[in-house]
Amino acid sequence: MSTSPRKPPAPGAIVAGGAVLLLIAIVGIVLLSPAGSALYPPPPATAQAREISQLYDIIFAIAVVVFLVVEGLIVWSIFRYRRRPGDTDLPPQTHGNNLVEALWTLIPTVLVIFMFAISWQTLDHVDAVSADPDVHINALAGQFQWQFQYLDKDGNVLATQRRAVGDGGGMAVPVAKSVYVTLESRDVIHAWYVPRFLFKRDVVPGQQNHFEFKVDEAEAGQTFHGQCAELCGTGHRAMLFDVVAMAPADYDAWLAKLVEAANATPPPAPSGAAVIDLAAQAIAYDKKTLDAPADAPFVIAFKNGDPETITHDVDIKGADGAVIANQEPIAGGTTGQYQYQPLAAGTYQFFCSIHPGVAAMEGTLTVK
Amino acid sequence: MTGAVSHGDPHAAESGHAQRGISNPILGMALFITSEVMFFSGLFAAYFATRAANQPWPPEAFGELLEPLSLILVATIILILSSFTCQFAVWSIRKGDRAGFIRNISITFVLGIIFLVMQMYDYSILFGEGMTLGSGPFGTTYYTLTGFHGAHVFGGVLMLGVVLYRGLAGQFSAKHHDAVEAVSLYWHFVDVVWILLFSILYLV
Amino acid sequence: MATHALSPAAVPAYRGGIYEWLTTTDHKKIGIMYVINSFLFFLVGGMFALLVRTELAQPGIQFFTNEHVYNESFSIHATVMIFLFIIPMLAGLGNYAVPLMIGAPDMAFPRINALSFWMLPLGGILLLMGFLVPGGAAAAGWTSYPPLSERGALSSPGAGQDLWIVALILIGTSSILGGINFLVTIFKMRAPGMTLFRMPIMVWTILVTSVLVVMATPVITSALVMLFIDRNYGGSFFNPETGGTAVLYQNVFWFYSHPAVYVMVLPAMGVISEVLPVFSRKPLFGYKAFIFATAGIGALGFSVWAHHMFTTGAVFLPFFALMTFFIAVPTGVKMFNWVFTMFRGQLTFSTPLIFAIGFLTMFLIGGINGAFSAAVPVDFALHDTYWVVAHLHYVLFGGSVFGVFAGLYYWFPKMTGRMLDEGLGKVHFALMFIGFNLTFFPMHMLGIKGMPRRIADYASTAGWNDWNLLATVGGFLIGISMLPFIWNVFVSLRNGKVAGDDPWEGNTLEWATSSPPPPYNFDRLPEIRSERPLFDARHGLVAHDTNAPREVEDGQKAIGAGPGEGREGQA
Repeated sequence: MSTSPRKPPAPGAIVAGGAVLLLIAIVGIVLLSPAGSALYPPPPATAQAREISQLYDIIFAIAVVVFLVVEGLIVWSIFRYRRRPGDTDLPPQTHGNNLVEALWTLIPTVLVIFMFAISWQTLDHVDAVSADPDVHINALAGQFQWQFQYLDKDGNVLATQRRAVGDGGGMAVPVAKSVYVTLESRDVIHAWYVPRFLFKRDVVPGQQNHFEFKVDEAEAGQTFHGQCAELCGTGHRAMLFDVVAMAPADYDAWLAKLVEAANATPPPAPSGAAVIDLAAQAIAYDKKTLDAPADAPFVIAFKNGDPETITHDVDIKGADGAVIANQEPIAGGTTGQYQYQPLAAGTYQFFCSIHPGVAAMEGTLTVK
Repeated sequence: MTGAVSHGDPHAAESGHAQRGISNPILGMALFITSEVMFFSGLFAAYFATRAANQPWPPEAFGELLEPLSLILVATIILILSSFTCQFAVWSIRKGDRAGFIRNISITFVLGIIFLVMQMYDYSILFGEGMTLGSGPFGTTYYTLTGFHGAHVFGGVLMLGVVLYRGLAGQFSAKHHDAVEAVSLYWHFVDVVWILLFSILYLV
Repeated sequence: MATHALSPAAVPAYRGGIYEWLTTTDHKKIGIMYVINSFLFFLVGGMFALLVRTELAQPGIQFFTNEHVYNESFSIHATVMIFLFIIPMLAGLGNYAVPLMIGAPDMAFPRINALSFWMLPLGGILLLMGFLVPGGAAAAGWTSYPPLSERGALSSPGAGQDLWIVALILIGTSSILGGINFLVTIFKMRAPGMTLFRMPIMVWTILVTSVLVVMATPVITSALVMLFIDRNYGGSFFNPETGGTAVLYQNVFWFYSHPAVYVMVLPAMGVISEVLPVFSRKPLFGYKAFIFATAGIGALGFSVWAHHMFTTGAVFLPFFALMTFFIAVPTGVKMFNWVFTMFRGQLTFSTPLIFAIGFLTMFLIGGINGAFSAAVPVDFALHDTYWVVAHLHYVLFGGSVFGVFAGLYYWFPKMTGRMLDEGLGKVHFALMFIGFNLTFFPMHMLGIKGMPRRIADYASTAGWNDWNLLATVGGFLIGISMLPFIWNVFVSLRNGKVAGDDPWEGNTLEWATSSPPPPYNFDRLPEIRSERPLFDARHGLVAHDTNAPREVEDGQKAIGAGPGEGREGQA
């Protein structure tokens, strides 16, 4: 069984070495290719995200090294130590080796303690909250939409942004300012998640979570997509929101406009229009059928009797399924005067656009 | 070691194994009790978490309801006594004293039933005062904890009944009474859980 | 005893009638029934996975016009795979192998063993009956976090969630009884000479797993019971509206469900710890270190549950992060033990070894990407995204499922007396290995780019289209890979090569009896002086006495021709 020291490497060793090199080459090529770049986080948009991204890179580097070492050993063993037809003798019956076993206990221990230490350090920064943040937003999560309350220094609500996505919607924040967010839910657990912030936090009913971030100055004008990351029911995937980064001056103007709109009195309903009463409670309309006059504007006086976090509206669909009237949702505990354009006689469906597919949140509108 | 060991007869092999240490049924029961301890740990953990999150505890509506110096103290003493009589039964059968065993296990059996009756009576009083499973965290935790304990007492009483029946049929002796040992372990466990429950629900 | 006079060969193979199977208390038949039952549920769970992948193949809702059914699909997929496939499948392999490996005639409590088994199909049927009740099956995810799993118009109004609870309690009870049975069997029924440190690693992993099951499963039972009370009797454990605490459920749930991950992976580690030495012709490298690592994983497993809850804002992060990182150490020890078992060995690439290598290479990825989630700030980015889906599948599929198949190919000859076809086995492996990586590797990319779990649809502009399509293609490839396996089983049962007692030159006692073994398992047992009694018998205790004459050893080796043929088959 003894081998002379100067023997040239066995053919098996050459094949196995080649296989290991091939493995390293493949991993290298993948990491440098576009597919490999998909393994890195999206460009971080906040100071906190940048730290998380750096931590990710360190752990990623360690992961690649560990992967190559262990996978390389496996590949080497597979190719080098096949049993050959002539192998009748047993291979050396090695039961263990104290030195290498101690090493492969010790080295990973040091490695994980290092990773723990740097992640704790990063955690300290990511979880830090300044004593006097520049902006305080209370994010209200409800099935299945987000609302953003802008608070003053004393915690009073200045105005509420009820459009979570789309044109004129989203949670506006100033760049280069500390933004303190509190999270509130009154139904189920949701999670506030923005991929480019590399951050999420659960919105747990009965518990107030909070966090802080500061969007990089260069990101002014950018919109970051976010969505609920904790399964919250049938509309989970539709629970989207945007975070809109603005230059501080733009932000101030935007907020002033929102406050103004919140304090404005709604336009009176056109006189003479028929007024139909409708209310919603426990995610259900109180009526399944409504009647409206044909070819005349009408108004639905809508009362949302649900908790504040749950918004509803009353939209109208034609027989072909096309949405004819699209209203702004209103928060729980408020009333709204929805005005509708004249409709031709016929049968329509009214429904809540926040709760599509909930049978109790749709009904038949007969126009005659 | 003198070569291969014959294992032709499974029963011979089984009894050969069983001579080492405690018997299979008793070990099985000990492990089962371990799992029961973990089950109650889950409930207890939930109790403390719920209690910490809801102050004052007990809520004002039920402030005077759980009075330790009442019927429940008598029930507690009865259950503790039954643990002693159960142990006397074990000691009796270990000595081969079948009459003493049957006397003691019968007393244990009856005490267990009395405890259950008293608990049901206690429930009826609490229901009368308007405390139910649905009346907030206090009612929920109280009935869940005591209810599951009661169910275990009921299970224990059934086991005691089986042991009593088999004892009357003369199936136990000084050498063969694993079932008695196992049931007594279970009964002590049920007793200990109650002492803990009584302490946290009525005293602390 | 009439059986005393019979030699194993005189006992007819398993040709008993259906009644005999339905009423059996023989651990081998029960083990086989566990395996078959679990495999059927594997197909059911896989079907739900393919429904989910079909919906996600492209942006837009194409398939589940009622999104509630989508939520039901992934909830039932995970529940079935975890509780009705992996856990019972491994329990089934253990049920079959453990008494044989320790030289016992049966489990300690054969009738309780039968009871444990029969609770499984019952639980499975209850779970799936959810599809027949108003409101459909459970749809709150396999984790069923309240308040979503509470009763409410937009949470879980239907009886499906209650059926889910009852089914899980039933399956959990089955696990607990099985765990107690394993522990008593292992502690009390070992053959003379089989000391604890001569037990096969498979038995050790089942031992540690059983401790986890007995200690942890009752805790989830308590959580489920509380949820049931909340839903049906007006309780207020987890409902914040009435004074409950929502996160409490998560704590209790994960106190079980993290150890449950080790319940799902330790026995698979046990399987490959049997397969690797046999097909490398070497002992397991660092036998004792491996056992301590297994016990260490089991113990640490109870102190890391909250790493599933880093983003709840309600747990002490540094402690759980540190403990989670520490789990990597014993896991790494095992990985090196396995690799160094192959190192300088003589490898025969039969199907069991190939699946074991599949386990090593894939579980390695599942271990490494776990380190990302252990780093709390990185977990803030990755939690509840497809990264986690990738991670858990690399552990549970890349690890456990590859281990399960290694075990099935390894013990099939013992169970049935016939060999599975090597060629079909390798086709099965190739398809499954490629399909698996196509499905789950892209999920890393999806997760890091921000795709959350459990969504039915995504924007076509999100940049997730290609990876999703790839994952769906891979998913169907996994489905297709089951066909050669099923075909292989049916063909080999009738026409497979006759296995003989010891087709692999095995190390452990199950190979000392006939294939399939007689009802009472053993006529005679070889002397047990190490963890490889059959190796000792075959090689004249060469492991202990290096001066033993080589000729004897070679002469005996010629008897076991199995591996040689296996090698030709793959060449």
